[in-house]
Amino acid sequence: MTLWLLVTIIFGLVRLTGDPVAMKAEAGADAAYVARLKQDWGLDQPLPWQYLGFIGNLLRGDFGHSFEKSLPVRDIYFERLPNSLKLGFAAFIISIVLGVPLGMLSALKVNSWWDSTGKVVALFGLSMPGFFVGLVLIIVFGIHLGWLPVLGKGRSAFVGSDPSTWVTFWFRDWSHLVMPAFALGWYFSGAMLRITRSGMLDVLGSDYIKLVRLKGVPERMVVAKHALKNSMIPVLTFAGLNLLIMVNVAVVIEVIFNWPGVGQLLYDGLSNRDFPMVQGVVLMSGLMIVVLNFTIDVLYGYVDPRIRLSR
Amino acid sequence: MATVLERAPSLGGLSHVARRSYRIVADVPAIPLLILGTLTFVAVFAPVIAPHRKLTPVKPTPAQCQARFSMTDCPYVDNVPPFWMSGGRLDTPLGTDFLGRDVLSRLMYGARISLVVALTGTLFAGAIGTLLGVLAGYMGKWWDQIIMRITDAWLTLPSLVFAILLSSVRGPGVWNVVLILALVFWSRYSRAVRGEVLALRERDFVKLAEINGISTRTIVFRHLLPNVMNTVMVLFSLQLGVAVIIEASLSFLGVGVPPPEPSWGLMMAQERESLMDGKWWLAVFPGIGISMLVLSANMLGDWLRVRLDPQLRNR
Amino acid sequence: MTTMRGALKGLLALAAVFTLLVTTGGEATAQKPILSGPLVKLDIKPAQIDAARGTSKGTLTVAMHFALDPGWLDPLEHSYAVTQQMYDYLVHDTMIKPMPYGYVTYGLAEQAELAADFRRAAFRLRPGLKFHDGHPLTTADVKWTYETFKGAYAKVFHDKLEHIQVVDDRTIVFHFKEPFIDFMDLYNGGVSGIGWIVPKHYYEKAGRDGFKARPIGAGPYKLVSQQAGVQMVFEAFEDYWRRTPATKTIVVKGIRDPATRMAGLQTGELDLAFGMTGKVLPRLMADANLRWDPNFTGPWWLMFPGYNEPGSPFRDKRVRQAVSLAINRQFLVKQETQGIGKPWGNWISPENRDALQGPEVPVPEFNLEKAKQLMAQAGFPDGFDADYLPFPPYFDMGERIITDLRAIGIRGRLQSLEGPAFRAKIGQGRKGIPGNRTIVQNIDPRAGGAKANLAVYAVCGSSASFVCEPQIEALWTKHQASLDLGERERLVKAIQRILLDEHHFVPVYWNPFIHGVGPRVLPEGQGFHRYWDTLNAPYPWPWEIWEVKADR
Repeated sequence: MTLWLLVTIIFGLVRLTGDPVAMKAEAGADAAYVARLKQDWGLDQPLPWQYLGFIGNLLRGDFGHSFEKSLPVRDIYFERLPNSLKLGFAAFIISIVLGVPLGMLSALKVNSWWDSTGKVVALFGLSMPGFFVGLVLIIVFGIHLGWLPVLGKGRSAFVGSDPSTWVTFWFRDWSHLVMPAFALGWYFSGAMLRITRSGMLDVLGSDYIKLVRLKGVPERMVVAKHALKNSMIPVLTFAGLNLLIMVNVAVVIEVIFNWPGVGQLLYDGLSNRDFPMVQGVVLMSGLMIVVLNFTIDVLYGYVDPRIRLSR
Repeated sequence: MATVLERAPSLGGLSHVARRSYRIVADVPAIPLLILGTLTFVAVFAPVIAPHRKLTPVKPTPAQCQARFSMTDCPYVDNVPPFWMSGGRLDTPLGTDFLGRDVLSRLMYGARISLVVALTGTLFAGAIGTLLGVLAGYMGKWWDQIIMRITDAWLTLPSLVFAILLSSVRGPGVWNVVLILALVFWSRYSRAVRGEVLALRERDFVKLAEINGISTRTIVFRHLLPNVMNTVMVLFSLQLGVAVIIEASLSFLGVGVPPPEPSWGLMMAQERESLMDGKWWLAVFPGIGISMLVLSANMLGDWLRVRLDPQLRNR
Repeated sequence: MTTMRGALKGLLALAAVFTLLVTTGGEATAQKPILSGPLVKLDIKPAQIDAARGTSKGTLTVAMHFALDPGWLDPLEHSYAVTQQMYDYLVHDTMIKPMPYGYVTYGLAEQAELAADFRRAAFRLRPGLKFHDGHPLTTADVKWTYETFKGAYAKVFHDKLEHIQVVDDRTIVFHFKEPFIDFMDLYNGGVSGIGWIVPKHYYEKAGRDGFKARPIGAGPYKLVSQQAGVQMVFEAFEDYWRRTPATKTIVVKGIRDPATRMAGLQTGELDLAFGMTGKVLPRLMADANLRWDPNFTGPWWLMFPGYNEPGSPFRDKRVRQAVSLAINRQFLVKQETQGIGKPWGNWISPENRDALQGPEVPVPEFNLEKAKQLMAQAGFPDGFDADYLPFPPYFDMGERIITDLRAIGIRGRLQSLEGPAFRAKIGQGRKGIPGNRTIVQNIDPRAGGAKANLAVYAVCGSSASFVCEPQIEALWTKHQASLDLGERERLVKAIQRILLDEHHFVPVYWNPFIHGVGPRVLPEGQGFHRYWDTLNAPYPWPWEIWEVKADR
């Protein structure tokens, strides 16, 4: 039901954004050319008919043909998706590596100097927009220090030579990935820090932990074996959601670093009023989130009794 | 003769007052308020305190024209660095941009834009969302169904993606951005408020009011709304930061506040290429401005959340 | 005796016949006209065929300034935009096209004729032409391409055609219902897409999508891989008729951001980058490792939509003149193009046929005092508010011009649109820009002679035009009816004169759409400018002459 609403809202909004035919046809184009474009793109039919056609095609998995890129949207989208996933995944790892240990430290030494620092770092992460971080990284690492490019091949992190090849990419061209992943992951590391911190605090204050301590288990074991395990559950679910969000919200980062992901598809598509492309990208991101939410709900229902028991 | 000891209570009384005052001061989030206060002051009084105009280039001296263009007279001199770097001047303390406009003045006017847009946008979003949330929570049945379904659908879209899509419908423009912010974020309020209202609905004072035949309107406005205000305020201050970032992102992409207005995000976008030339100050200062604003909004939101939610008090 | 004489006579006769056969036979293959009757004298330069076939080597990486569209690989749906021609020159070939050796040069055709009554046109293909898959290119493909063409100008081509006569595998004649004066101009590969020949056998097999994903043509390069929007990789077609392409691989990337293109040039990942204008230009010029070509495309000019409506401040010619006087062109080119741009007096590029040239159109003067006087005389001593619509993404330039105009009281409000949105507005003319207090900044380096620009921007009949003047209409009607090329040229120039004298269009400067070049491009030094020798071409085609250093 939600999905259907989503689809309708997107359809309507996209149609409101303007006239793609006028945009493709240059000044001086004759009427026949314009009419042919309209027909090719299915825009000469009445609106309800277009809507039905759209829904019908969707059910068959067909997102239509991109106006600007002339090929089926589905092909183009799935060709690009791995790039966005790579970026999102790398940013995800960075956010975990930065956020989780600091969060744990904050929780363990709650209200101490460490904690305050942790809180401040989290705040900074959440306050600087991704594109600002990206720009600063470019200035510092790309221009002043010249560290990136590395690997001695004279490759720049900006141009992104060919991020679509899996294996060679991870081993040879990771330098392309570092800055955009960092710019993207920075924001979320702040969120991860907080989640980890409050998750840990919850667990540390629980009866279960008190019991374990009473039993005389050394503190380090308490933390490592028991507290860590149980506090990871909310962290992981939140992290999963974050990953999805990262993949979809990376638009600005992709534009700055010229990363050929789905965010750029959206940006290009909107600039050119490429209806099928925009519909496709927005729908896919909404779909992914819906599916993920659903999965999380199911998982929570499954996992929850155990949490209750362990307290 | 009163001994020191006899006088001690009054001293102790004073210190008691001092201690209480200190605690009040310590309780208040000094830093975010200071930052926000300064930014608001600057935003409000920008036309008065800004050293130059926001759209007109600074009239250069003949020496400047000679040094830059080898001409004795020129309409403006672009890319003057901040005053602490060589070539910088005190009357344009943070330098000039590519059109010879004073960066400091534009930053000040930019504070206006960021604050006004984020505040009004979030206010509208909050107003709409709260109202809808209350309606959904209190009226129940198909009110609830419809509003919540729409809210759910709305929430599945990532905010930046949605914002960019909406910007294509309306085009760039300050008030368009406000509209976009309102449209994108209202669903967050309605969801939270609805939850609150569902709980409140079962409380005694509401039931009493219903039994006494008080009109729904009064119940909503006098009983329910004040009690959800806590949640709303916390959400509001947290959303403020997000709103600033979304506006900056939109302007950065060219679909938010249009040139020549000095939106911070736009200033960063316009000067991105100057970065490569080493003119970092043009893009970094607006970025710092955005970060400061968002930071203080977030800190304030955090403080409010701790304050208003007793459970979190001790953390 | 008789037998001897008889034999000698026979031998002589045989020799005579043989000589006759040899000589006329030779002429037949080189000079025999296809059409009968008087012909128009066409100025088509011969193709430069390189007999020595070398080997292709090296890789050239090119950065395009926007995302790539696989649709550009299909000439049948050719857009009006000139960008597609870059890909035409890569993958396909045409009968006649602009080359560095002449505005019109023979391509696939070795002979072209146009009847004097403009009702027939004929071509003879070279022998031995092949598509990338080895399939021979014949007149059947030429005919099929013409008939299946759906792109720009399709209506004109189809309406005027009576029928196509395929004489043999290499000879083809087009018969038109009425005199088609512009046929050779339009059939020229530099102007429209109908001349770029598409293989019938392959297109029908692959279909529209299949063709765009894996196109086949007769050009010097074949597409080997692409990622839609991001990158296309081309490899040399060794059997190309004209010569072996000098570079083995050409990679084209779509990189929207000028700073990124700049970075790519500096690190050596890019060898050629388009559109290095604005703030990256000083850096490009300062870098000793890099080179650049000014690549003049077309002039910038300002238009005044709705100027002839009663409420418009631009109705008065003096106001329009004031606008022209207020723009400090010298300073503008210094700021925008580091002094490379040329302040210009016309709005049509001088590389276009029949355009008024440099000396005929002196640069408009810069005189603030006079401008203010004119404004006051026209009744606007305090100026007025107006909207300003700049050409994306040159918003900086728009802001600079607005600053200039503010000095005489015109308070411009910048309306920034995205590229396609702007083009849509311009294309729809008055419908797209309904106000009458607007100044529009435009540039349009289209080929096809000055008349092409006039047809779009200066006549009442064009949907994109803001100008509608009876004087111009009269001249234009005469032009369309005339069959005399000399008279047409005079009329075209007269119309341009009126437009400039009445300040309907305010020219600004001739725009350098600067291309940056890396150190690997040969020849070293300044010889690389020859790649930009093709007239009226905003991109450095043809591609088969590009040379790069072999190692990578």
